[in-house]
Amino acid sequence: MSDGKHFDANKVFIGLFIFTALEVAWGYLGHGWNKPMLWGGLLFFAFLKAWLIAVYFMHLKFEGWVIYSLLLPTPFLVLVIFGYVLPDVANQGDDNNLIHPIGSRFEKDTGRVEEVMIWSKDEGGGH
Amino acid sequence: MSESIAAYDPSVDAAAHHHPVYDYDSGPPVERGKFAIWLFLATEVMFFSGLIGAYIVLRTAAAEWPDPTKVLAVDITAFNTFVLITSSWLMVKSLFAAEAGDKGGILKWLGLTILGGSLFVGIQIYEYIELVKHGALPHANIFWSTFYLTTGFHGFHVIVGVIWLICAWFAALRGKYSPKNYLGLELAGLYWHFVDLVWVLLFTIIYLF
Repeated sequence: MSDGKHFDANKVFIGLFIFTALEVAWGYLGHGWNKPMLWGGLLFFAFLKAWLIAVYFMHLKFEGWVIYSLLLPTPFLVLVIFGYVLPDVANQGDDNNLIHPIGSRFEKDTGRVEEVMIWSKDEGGGH
Repeated sequence: MSESIAAYDPSVDAAAHHHPVYDYDSGPPVERGKFAIWLFLATEVMFFSGLIGAYIVLRTAAAEWPDPTKVLAVDITAFNTFVLITSSWLMVKSLFAAEAGDKGGILKWLGLTILGGSLFVGIQIYEYIELVKHGALPHANIFWSTFYLTTGFHGFHVIVGVIWLICAWFAALRGKYSPKNYLGLELAGLYWHFVDLVWVLLFTIIYLF
């Protein structure tokens, strides 16, 4: 169970500590920056930390093909989940057409959220 | 009936029916418990992906979204993140102690891990109480709704993890773990690290984005 699984946990911990500090600093300082830069930096630090935890603390680096094959479909399924929600995210235009809740629309003139989801084809076009 | 089962000898049966006798384990080449926990964690990834996906859609679709660094106590939560990361590191130390057959080390490091997890839950409860005092209730708006849903479900996972670790601590106290068999501790550790990993992502998305 333990053969060949040793690594320097202290170094990983220090890395996690430093990256968390940098991430928080980035989050505080970056709120005046443009969004892609702010979010890109935050995601970089977050995934770097997640990778360190998964690879070292969860021993993924030392596992065999069984665990890898078990986990391999997971990122694809995550992509499927995000693939389903992507159209709702991508449909956001400058005029903010699609506003919460899904199937509703923000009317700028009235400042209200109007239901636009139509459930029956008979009611006009279907969905 | 029970006697016939107890007396059952597969090699005798195989010879009588001309069956070969297999002396290998037909399971996967990994401990069944570890296989099961990874399968479970894969489903947990799906679970949290669904929550995060919903959060992203609702946030991008919302007409307005507050700056989280202004309405949430990021400094306290950043400290809480350090607490959880530290507890994950302490969990690794307890596993190393188990590998070395150091029962005292297991109890010490695992005990500190439990303390870290409990502190995390305590700080999160304190955060919730303060937010509720200021009128930030789950039904106030979509920001608070998604905030309580995602962090609450994670908090529930942490509580389950702490209970699991307490059970592992008592198992260690009874001398259940040895350098050759500490799988139970390893499984609890895997779950605990996963909870830490999820928090790293949630903290970024909910508190800093």
